[in-house]
Order: sequence, then C-alpha cells, then structure tokens
Amino acid sequence: MTAAQTADRTATTAAGPEPGTATLLARTAAAEWLRLRTVRSTWWCLLAAAVTVVGIGATAAFDEATEPAATTAALPATIAGEFGVLLGQFGLLVLALVAVTQEHASGSIGPTLQWTPRRGVLLAARVAVPVVVATVAGVLLALVADVAAWLIAPELTLSAGELAGSLGRVAAVLVAGSVLAVGVGLLLRSTAGALATVFLLQLVLPALLPGFGVEWMADLGELLPGTGAVWTLLGEPDMTAAQAAALLVGWSVAALVAGGWSLLRRDAS
Amino acid sequence: MIQVRGLTKEYGTGSTLRGAGVVRAVDDLTFDVQPGKVTGFLGPNGAGKSTTMRMVLGLDRPTAGSALVTGRRFGELAEPLRVAGALLDAGAVHPGRSGRDHLRVAARTHGIPLRRVDDVIDQVGLGPAARRRVRGYSLGMRQRLGIATALIGDPAVLLFDEPMNGLDLDGVRWVRRLVRGLADEGRTVLLSSHLMSEMEQTADHLVIIGRGRLIADASMQEVMRREDAQRQVRVRTPSPGDLAGALRRRRLQVHPTDEGDLLVEGATAETVGDVALQLGVAVHRLTEEHASLEQVYLDLTGDTVQYRVASAPEPAELVRR
Repeated sequence: MTAAQTADRTATTAAGPEPGTATLLARTAAAEWLRLRTVRSTWWCLLAAAVTVVGIGATAAFDEATEPAATTAALPATIAGEFGVLLGQFGLLVLALVAVTQEHASGSIGPTLQWTPRRGVLLAARVAVPVVVATVAGVLLALVADVAAWLIAPELTLSAGELAGSLGRVAAVLVAGSVLAVGVGLLLRSTAGALATVFLLQLVLPALLPGFGVEWMADLGELLPGTGAVWTLLGEPDMTAAQAAALLVGWSVAALVAGGWSLLRRDAS
Repeated sequence: MIQVRGLTKEYGTGSTLRGAGVVRAVDDLTFDVQPGKVTGFLGPNGAGKSTTMRMVLGLDRPTAGSALVTGRRFGELAEPLRVAGALLDAGAVHPGRSGRDHLRVAARTHGIPLRRVDDVIDQVGLGPAARRRVRGYSLGMRQRLGIATALIGDPAVLLFDEPMNGLDLDGVRWVRRLVRGLADEGRTVLLSSHLMSEMEQTADHLVIIGRGRLIADASMQEVMRREDAQRQVRVRTPSPGDLAGALRRRRLQVHPTDEGDLLVEGATAETVGDVALQLGVAVHRLTEEHASLEQVYLDLTGDTVQYRVASAPEPAELVRR
C-alpha cells in the first residue's frame, strides 16, 4: 500500500493523476485472477487434479502400507501427496498453460493488451497468478491426500516435520512446472503445441527414455525437467539435490526468458 | 486527437529459402484524427486499415514512424481505457466467459466500479444476454459487447473497426447515432467501414488509404466537391436525338442510356432545361445526379485494389488538403 502511494506521487508530478506501477500490478493481477475464475476450464482442471492427487495418492499410499511383503520401516503418509502430485500435477499445469494460450487462440490477447499495454506489468501478473494458483491448489491437495492416507492406513506415520518438508518439495515441483508451462505457452501461443511440449518434457520423455536401455537416451532423460520433478518427489533416479534443483530452476528460467521475450517484443496475435 | 506520423509496417513473407520478401502493409502514413468529428477510415481489403489501428493501439510494433493518442504513445498509458477505447475484432473474446465477466475483467484492470459495467451493458442494449457465455452470441451481440468495452472507461478517443458488421438495420442506425453523439460530445472518433452509404451519412472527415499509402485526407465536403465536376444531368425526352444534337453543339458530352434517357456530363439542370425549351422539345424528366461516396471511393481507390490487379500502379491522384 505504501509502495503504491509512493509510486502514485511520482506519477502525479509527471502527467496528471496516473496510478503507479505497484497499483497497476495489483489491478492486473486481480484481473488475471478474475480471468481464471470466470472460465470453466479452470474448474475442470482443478477437479481433475483433485481426483488424481487425492484419489490415486491416498490409494497408492494405502496399498504400500498394507503390502503383505511388509516394508521394514514405517512409511510416512506424505508419500500419498507426493505420488498424487507426480501424476495430478498435469491438471494444474494445463490450468496454467491454457490460461495463457487460450488468449492467443481466441484473440482476446488483443483486448487484454488494450487494457494493460505496459507489457512488463502484464507479464509479471500473467506469470505470477497461474503459478500461485497452481502451487497453492497442489499443496492443499497434497495435504488432503496425506491426511486421507493417514486416516485410512494408520500404519503410516505423519509428523509435522515430514509434512512441512514434503509440502515444500511439492511446492517446488509445482512452481517449476507451472513456470515452465506458462513460459512455453507464452512462447508457442498455441494450446496444442505448448501442451505437447510440456507433456514431453515433464512426463513422457523422462518416463520412457530410460526404459530403452540405450545409454545416450538414459543420459538425455536425466537432463529433462520432469526427471528433476520425479527426483524431488520420489527421490528415484540416482542424482544429487543440486542436479535436481538445477534442472527445475534451469528449465523454468529458460522457459520464462523465452516466453517473456515473446510477450514483450513480438506483435500481439 | 490521434496523430499518425510516417507510420510504416513491413512483414517478411515466405520462407528464407526462396528469398525473403518484404511486404509493406502500411507505407509512410501521416494524418491526424481531430476531436469533435467522425473520421471515416476507408480503403479496400488489405489496404492496411486494421494494421494501422493495431499500431495506434500498440498491439503491433511499427517498422518506422509513430502514432500518438492524446499526445502519448498508447503503450505508455497506465489507464488506457480512460484515454482511448477500441473495437477492433468483435470475435476476440474468450468464448467461455460471459459478456459481463469480460467487462468485469476490463473494469478490474482500471479500478472501474462494477456499477459502470452494468451501465455500459444497458447503454449498448445487451441486457440479460450479458450473463450468458459469449460462445452463444450472434455477431451483432459481440459487436455490442465490443462497443461496451470501448466505452467503459469514458475515453476521449474511440477507434471502431467495422462496428456495423453483423448488425441489423436497427443496430446500424443505433451505431450511427452513437458515433455521431460521441463526436458531438467532443470526442475523437475513427471509424472504419466498408458500408459507403453508412459512411456518407456518418463521417465528417475521410482518411482513404490504398496499398498502405494515403490517398486522401479531406473533409467529406471536399471529397464530394471534387466529384461535383463530374456531376451529370439525366433527361428524358420523346425526341432524344434532337436534344442530344443541340447539347453536343454546345460542346457538352451526352451519353444515351439503355432506358432511352440522356446523361449530360458537367451540365446543370438549368442549362439542359433551357436548351430543351429553345429547341421546343418536351421534357418528361430532368434530374441532377450527384456522385455517391461509393463512386468517389471507387474512383480514388480503383488503381490500388490489391486483390484485383497484378501490377502495382502508383496511388491515384491525391486529394490532400
């Protein structure tokens, strides 16, 4: 609020009472949130994510816990949210991606830029809002899945420390994934092309490439963002935390730079 | 006030393998759009009207030149809807969102109260349909939604690209009155339309372009006066041969028509009537025919219609002020 007021005053001296950048950013973000809320596809994506994260996550955790070939140590209930998000993240990534590409498909990017012609302001809001929505929704769903798994399978352990660590990892994966989705959406502008790209990078190639038993394919798979996400959630392919973090951060920053360039510099259409 | 200065837009065409071609969609355009008037923006398809409007609104980046709206580049404006409202493409709305929600988003970007959303919905006559999803709208309803969006910030400058497309007769008359009223309130109105009869009734000033270049920038009166030199008189008489001979002896161009009338070029009704009286022939009909804007437009743009001729002639004679 104070930042907005300061910015207001500087703008006023220049050319009439114009709101400052902080105010514009707040309004644009509010408008982006309204855009998300007022189309049904957002709610369908959330529903799909909820069913997948909670349903599959909790069921899988229950299965693991009651496996007759009993595990030696007690399992944490947080495997429910982690496994659920590994699959259910795609509902949330589609939500973030379609929010961007639909504007280009319908041409409504035209009106959008007529209302917010300062493209830097639009870019900030356009990235921040879907990423926050996808991440918050995913973390809440993971929490629900963890608690549900713990309730139906009391053999599972659930401590505050485990929960905080697990939800932090879920948040990191969703921030990285939805920034990647928004960045690719801004760059390619086509829903089909962007969806195919994100699915290949995040799910299909990391899952399939190691399976061919060809060395360079497995190596390539370890360079993809989806592999970093799988490691962060399940700790599975053999790599260090630094490598996984580099994959998550590197890919999302690259997508953001390319997508940001596209919105800032190219003609709207 | 809109100021366009040397505005140019080039597009690359084709693949670089076959040699990169460059098309000049807009070529060094310079004109002003004055407040308090309706300025008609005319030109054949592909002349660059929409591209020009998109550059004025900062949607497309000019290759050269600039466009200012009330003295500022549109892309710099913090609250653009309070300065300039535009309807470029009525279809450019998310089909799954209701018209009212579309307007709510516009209002939200500017801190405009919700009351204003319902005001403009009433003003354009969208009524209860505003709460339905845009997917089910007719083109006319989309045009009304687009006009509502342009008006929501109560701007001093308005740009309408073909706002009458898809409207029925009532809708066309409504847009005409609306546009007239906006100009009479002192606003700057730039209106493109291919409906020449509508333009003739609505516009005060005309900017005509062809192949991206300025062909004419003049008041409606000036454009029509140019055509007065080509005014003609239609006369019907039982003895056309005698009258035509007498008129030709006065060095007037006379053309018989299929209906048996005579068309006399560059004459007034008085002259033709006097000649007929002196000759003693009966006259059953005598009318002065003024060129319509449509004819003027066709004369001016005839050489520049992009999708008809293969050669690339220079723009027709300029009618600049």
